Amino acid sequence: MTRAPAFGVAAAALLLAGCASFSPDGAMGPVQDTLRQHLGAQATVPRTDDDQAAAQQRAAQLLAAPLSPEAAVELALLNQRGLQAAVQSLAATEAERVAAGRLPNPGFSFGRLRRGDELEIERGLHFSLGRLLTLPLAREAAAQRLAQAQAQVAGQALQLAFDTRKAWVQAVAAEEAVHYSGQVLQAAQASAELARRMAQVGNFNKLQQAREQAFQADAALAVARAQQARTVARERLLRLLGLWGEAAAKLQLPTRLPPLPAADTLQLERPGLEADAIAQRLDVQAALADARQRASGFSQARVDRFVSLLDVGVVRNSSNEAPTQRGWELSLELPLFDAGAGNVRAEALYRQAVHRAAETAVNARSQVREAYAAWRSAYDIAHHQRDQVLPLRARIAEENLLRYNGMLIGVFELLADARAQIAGVNTAIESLRDFWLAQAELDQALVGPPGSALSPTATAGSPAAPTVEAGH
Amino acid sequence: MLSRRHLLGASAAVGAAAVSRVALAALPEPVLQTSPDTQPPLQPPDGRPYNPVVTLNGWTLPWRMNNGVKEFHLVAEPVVREMTPGFKAHLWGYNGQSPGPTIEVVEGDRVRIFVTNRLPESTSVHWHGQRLPNGMDGVTGLTQPAIPPGKTFVYEFVARRPGTFMYHPHADEMVQMAMGMMGLWITHPKGRHPLIAEVDRDFCFLLNAYDIEPGSATPKVMTMLDFNLWTWNSRIFPGISPLVVRHNDRVRIRVGNLTMTNHPMHLHGHEFTVTGTDGGPVPRSARWPEVTTDVAVGQMRQIEFLADEEGDWAFHCHKSHHTMNAMGHDVPTMIGVDHSGVARQITRLIPDYMVMGERGMEDMTEMEMPLPDNTAAMMTGTGPFGAVGMGGMFSVVKVRRGQRPGDYRDPGWFTHPPGTVAHEFGGTPMPAAQAPASSGPAAMPAAGQPAQPVEVQVRKPAGGGHAH
Repeated sequence: MTRAPAFGVAAAALLLAGCASFSPDGAMGPVQDTLRQHLGAQATVPRTDDDQAAAQQRAAQLLAAPLSPEAAVELALLNQRGLQAAVQSLAATEAERVAAGRLPNPGFSFGRLRRGDELEIERGLHFSLGRLLTLPLAREAAAQRLAQAQAQVAGQALQLAFDTRKAWVQAVAAEEAVHYSGQVLQAAQASAELARRMAQVGNFNKLQQAREQAFQADAALAVARAQQARTVARERLLRLLGLWGEAAAKLQLPTRLPPLPAADTLQLERPGLEADAIAQRLDVQAALADARQRASGFSQARVDRFVSLLDVGVVRNSSNEAPTQRGWELSLELPLFDAGAGNVRAEALYRQAVHRAAETAVNARSQVREAYAAWRSAYDIAHHQRDQVLPLRARIAEENLLRYNGMLIGVFELLADARAQIAGVNTAIESLRDFWLAQAELDQALVGPPGSALSPTATAGSPAAPTVEAGH
Repeated sequence: MLSRRHLLGASAAVGAAAVSRVALAALPEPVLQTSPDTQPPLQPPDGRPYNPVVTLNGWTLPWRMNNGVKEFHLVAEPVVREMTPGFKAHLWGYNGQSPGPTIEVVEGDRVRIFVTNRLPESTSVHWHGQRLPNGMDGVTGLTQPAIPPGKTFVYEFVARRPGTFMYHPHADEMVQMAMGMMGLWITHPKGRHPLIAEVDRDFCFLLNAYDIEPGSATPKVMTMLDFNLWTWNSRIFPGISPLVVRHNDRVRIRVGNLTMTNHPMHLHGHEFTVTGTDGGPVPRSARWPEVTTDVAVGQMRQIEFLADEEGDWAFHCHKSHHTMNAMGHDVPTMIGVDHSGVARQITRLIPDYMVMGERGMEDMTEMEMPLPDNTAAMMTGTGPFGAVGMGGMFSVVKVRRGQRPGDYRDPGWFTHPPGTVAHEFGGTPMPAAQAPASSGPAAMPAAGQPAQPVEVQVRKPAGGGHAH
């Protein structure tokens, strides 16, 4: 009879522990689901060695042609080592979850007491009944942590995708800028060379020649700067793509940014944007989940107060002067002086979570409005540049050529104008680049807070699940 | 050819639009001219007879006799003047044209001129060179109130002395002159005049200048000196009519200058004398032969010559930029600059680019390249032997044996008698003449020579090949 409770408890624990096992996909399922939802079917993150091998093949395939923005995102997810590391940490977290679902370890106590000649030896085997009873709660907490970790990895992957997309836009725009600054240099070189020949035959003085040479020198500087900017943009993209060595050298980019989409394909007015953001933003979802969890924690706290402080033990007290005492002992801490503190705390945490969720939602709405406004004006600016400014600049170039034809302006003025026109193209490229960046920012704002790491743990810093402390 | 009677009806309707019919009822109908062509002389239908002038690319204003007074009606208004085919300017003028019509009267005529203002601002008319009552002199503020828009003022005086005169505003003078407000006034002598010869052909025109941005149509009224269109009667060559005369005609040309600079007027093939100014006929003792006479700002000159040499004789302002049309004033000289390689480089950036000026600017006369809209080419006149490298203040005096008196139609190009046209020399070149060694700089050595001798190379065309 004396052994029965301990045995029964152990058996029950084993039974319970049997449910906690490893998932076949290294806990990646929900991550993949999130990625597919936001990035499309191609978005996968490799986990196993087999995955890695396939990923290498796919990467080689993607690198064979100029990289489209979609291909860049795919490649980054396949190849970026930081993400790979996060995926592995997920497996570690899952292991913790499995461990949390297992039986609590029994405790053994031994006491040797002397009273005069009497020697009393006290042996006790303890098993935290409280922890056993709260095992489902602990397991749920661990599952929560895993879910959080999964959300974190998904967030990281999404962040990588958005960063890659933006870096791709920057890198392609930088390529274009290099191209056009090269053209400006070409015009300046023609001016300088012509000026040199003018001076040679006596039509230009040194001042006039030096002026044209100065244009060339400035243009060369602009080329150097554009090349430097290209290097920075390209390296950033390479980092996000996780490329180095030969693969990095193989990377080709398109020579132009994708054209500005037509207004009718774009859905310029988006009244439901805020609702969409609330529905799908990871931080909002996490904050809501947290609040829900706190709500259940709030009600559980009443139960926990009793069960968590319950200890069960087997006692064997032997004395040299008396027959050995055997029995079991149940210790229960009376929450007399708790005065409902646990409950108050849980309630406070719950209310805190509710406020945090509300704050997150308010911020999300604002951020998505801001991103939308930025996107919308970036579109209008790029559209204006393409449909108004560039045609006007082209018109100016044409008119200047006509004026050159009539000997109303000279070749140097014509070349100076050509330089200005080409430089004007850069402004158009920049506005197109800004549009695509704003597009990425808007996409990102619909998933999480823009401009920062996409981490859904908005409540970081607050204590984790309340059941964790139960087993003290 | 003269369609003024036709125009009478139409112009009345135009007039009614801006000025009340009642106000106009007592006035002579304003006569408008829309053609920029040289109109035949207006033979005086009434009044004292005289030998009329021909206004180059212009016309003479008809009048009506009213109790012995010659009544004219000038209408100051915005006009569109074709300066040369393909290029029209928005100017201000009189009765449909700028310059306005020539007013021809006879010494002693009492003249009444109604001036209707259809400009957006007030104006006045100053009768340059006339003896008249001070209150008719047309200086706004000083001798008369300005003529407000929509109003008609009247000037009345006796044309006291014969000569060549002009009229122009003295109200917002800078703007109105820059916009083309001006006209000629000829007072013919009453009878034979000892100092005024009877001539067979009597031409007149005003020198005027505009600054019209290529591709635009309105003159820049703020320009002080840097004009780009040098015109006779607001026309530029090749838009200027030739001065057609019969062989052995006595010819008079009256020139007034309303530009901001002087113009040395040069006639080829003949000598002339300046027989009059806006001060009157020049005494015979003060005349001397010339082939060029300078017409200073605000002056008038009348020159006379006997057209006794057949041919097509150039007549132009001798300031060489004044025989050019719109051109850039900051265009670098490209002569002798080798464009090889660079031209290709530029063409990559500016596909329609063409090298110009490498051999001088004569290319400009032959190249047919698109220009900004409404722009006169720098020089596009073409003669029987090719392009004439001139524009602006340039025309041709055509002296022809077969030209009938009173016929001003262009007889075409001159047919040169055999052997009278310059041609390529086919013989052995002569040895170059040598200057004596003692002449030149040796006679007076220079002080303060540069430390290093300056190298200047003369580039002469080598062979026929021209690579770029």
